[in-house]
Formats: sequence, C-alpha cells, structure tokens
Amino acid sequence: MSADVRILAAEPGCHLFSGCGFEAPTIGMFFPEPWITGIPGTTGIDLYLVLLLIALGAVLLLWSWFSKKLSLVPGRRQGIGEMLVLFIRDQITRPTMGAKGDGFIPLMTAIFTFILLMNFTGLIPGLLPVNSDLSFPAMLAGFIFILTLIIGMKKQGGWGYIRNQIFPPGMPKPIYVLVTPIEILSVFVIRPVTHALRLFATMFAGSLLLAVFAYGGWYMLNVTAEPALAALSVVYSGAALLGYIAFFVFEILIMAVQAFIFTLLASLYINQSLEAAH
Amino acid sequence: MLLELAADYNILRIDPVKAAFGAIALAVVYFFVARKAVPKVMKVLDERHDAIEGGIERAKRAEAEAEEIRQQYRDKLEESHREYAQELEKAKEQRAAIIAEAREEAQVEAKRIIDAAKAQIEADRQQAFVQLRGEIGTLSTELASRIVGETLGDGAAQTRVVDRFLEELESSESTKQAEVR
Repeated sequence: MSADVRILAAEPGCHLFSGCGFEAPTIGMFFPEPWITGIPGTTGIDLYLVLLLIALGAVLLLWSWFSKKLSLVPGRRQGIGEMLVLFIRDQITRPTMGAKGDGFIPLMTAIFTFILLMNFTGLIPGLLPVNSDLSFPAMLAGFIFILTLIIGMKKQGGWGYIRNQIFPPGMPKPIYVLVTPIEILSVFVIRPVTHALRLFATMFAGSLLLAVFAYGGWYMLNVTAEPALAALSVVYSGAALLGYIAFFVFEILIMAVQAFIFTLLASLYINQSLEAAH
Repeated sequence: MLLELAADYNILRIDPVKAAFGAIALAVVYFFVARKAVPKVMKVLDERHDAIEGGIERAKRAEAEAEEIRQQYRDKLEESHREYAQELEKAKEQRAAIIAEAREEAQVEAKRIIDAAKAQIEADRQQAFVQLRGEIGTLSTELASRIVGETLGDGAAQTRVVDRFLEELESSESTKQAEVR
C-alpha cells in the first residue's frame, strides 16, 4: 500500500481534465525507499543520509572557503565569514550570555551554519531538508541538552545545578509544591523536546507545503487537453508556480529563522547552566 | 487515506542509526568549524581590532604630544612676554634713576656756580668798598684843605669851591679813565 502511494506521488502521471483525481503529496514523501535494509534498529540507509552528507560537505566547503588566506584587510569572501561570526556574537551569544559567552561563539557558529545548510538541502528541487526527519533535530537538541547538563554540573555542582533548576531561588517555600513539578517537567522534558520538535515541524510542514504547490502545479498542467482547457490549465498551473516561488522564498526565510532560533535557544539554555541564579 | 498513511508512517520516529550519523556529522562540523575555521576568523577579527585600537592609541598619543608641545610653546611665549615687561619696567626705573641723578648733579653744579658768583660779588664789593673808602678819605682831605684854603667870606665862594672841586674831580676821573684805557 505505502509503496503504491509513493509511486503515485513520485510519478504524477495524472493531469487535470484527463479524468483522474489529484493525488496530493503525502507524508510518505518523508519516508524515502531505503537502499540498504536489514540493519538492526533502523529502517535502513536512505536519501536522508545523502542529504546529510550534502549538508556536511557544504558546511566544510563554506568554512574552508571562509577561513583560507585570511588577512587584516578583508576581501569580500572573508568579510562574509566575519559577518557571520559577528552576527552570532552580537545576535546570539552576547544578548543571551554576555561577554562570558564569547567562548561559545565557535560552537554556536558551527551549529548555526550546520543547521542552516541541513535546512537548505530542502531548497534543491526534489530533495528534502535534513531536519524534516526528527532523528536529526532530536540528535541536535539532545546534544545541546547533554551539553547544558555537563556545563551546569561543572559550574554549579551536580546537585547544585539540579537544585537551582527545580527550586528556583527567591520563592516562598509552599510555592515549590507547585513550581518544582512544573520546573522538572519544563527543564528536563519540555525544553529539549520542543527544541527538537520546533525545528523538525517547521521543516516538515514547509517541505509539505512546497510539495503541494509543485505537485498541484504539475497536476493542473495538461497541454494535451482541448485547446481551451489546455490554456486554462496553463493559467492554473502558472498560479501554482507563482505560489510555489512565493513560498519558496518564504521557506528560505523560515529555514534561516529556524536555524537562528535553534541556536539562540541553545545559547539561552547554556547560559542558564553557566549562571547559578536567574 | 491520510489517517491510514499516518498509521503507516510514524513521523515522530527517531531512527538511532540516522541520529548516530547525524552526531558523527556534527562532530566533524565541530572539529572543523568550531575548532579550526571560526577561531581563525576570530583571531583575525581580534588582530584587526587590536590594530585599529592601536592606531587610535597612537593617534591619541600624537595628539597628546602635540598638545604638550603647544603648551610648552605657549608657556615660553608667556614667559618671554613677562620677561619683556620686566625689562621694560627695569628700563623705566633706570631712566628715572638716571634723570634724578642728573637733576641732582645739575642742582649741585648750579649751586656751586651760584656760590662762586656770590663769593666773587662779595669780594668785588669788598674791594670796591676798600678802594672807595681810601679814595673818599683822600678826597675829603683834599676838599677840606681847599675849603679851608679859600676865604670863607661868603657862601657864594664856598659854593664855587665845591663846584670847582667837583669839576676837577670829574675831569680827573675822566683822565684817569682815559689813562686806564
């Protein structure tokens, strides 16, 4: 069954005015056929690992390009790299952590560019953003979560960190009955889960939306129909194309914003581990 | 249809193998980007910041130096003005002193001249007086002898005698003067 749908979605041979209905893209598009199966604990090696490699290669290329032959008087290429670093410093680490967070600039820059390019694989027609598979955002959020635990316990002591998180200082004692369960849930469950889900969901929905416009536009284009109907189909299809372009541009923005938000939140969480009281 | 598909595909599934590959990729990105590339870029940024900061520092130092030199110049100018005024004052004082001294000297000299003149006059007067006294004596004696020599009969004769005497005296005076000349 699922294989049939995938084929229908992948080969939309059906067009408007040819008597068959529109097969909307389904969430099946996020489950590409695995090439290698039988590995325990996984559905197999599929397109996502290729996308991951593309993103990884792009990050490495970009940064080797940014960081080669650096000089005190920068050229355009070096200027972009520096702008990116300064952007991370001035928009992410400084507002959340202040000057003491300057040590996290490299990590935050790496995470930001990595997520950005993982999202940008979805801009290649026919491909998907790496982060539209929850495995990757969950891995990233999990990394940040573990990092905050390690930093917090190093800076505030094992119990000290947990106490500061679940018993926020400066409250009357009875309030803790209410606050502590909320804080436990918030800090150790909701925070990392939403951190991952936010990135995943936006990439997932954005890709689906783009796919609907692409598939719809292709479905509505039927030049083999009667001339009048063919012209009408071109108009419909053109409207879909315009929608696709508009949402494509919008999607670029969303991909960048989501990468930014993920990094900003990571920086915020790390700051809460650095500071005892907040 | 969608519900059926949703049952087929679990979109919230976390595939551990994919996550592991993702973690490896993240590690590679971390070592390459966060450890190497970004610190390199940041180092250049810091160096440039230092260079600019250094330039500003140098400019500030040069400015301070110029200001110092200007201050020195101004001080010197002021000092020379002051010295000039002092010199002027001194010169004025000297001039006044010289004038006063000269005046004093002149007064002393004048007094000396006056004194000398007075002494001269006194001496002349003395001499004239002595001479006059001698002459008056002689003349009186002569006149008396004449008066006595004549007959003292009438007043007219006496008057004549006196007149004659005086005439003689006058003529002898003029001859005496002629002799002197």
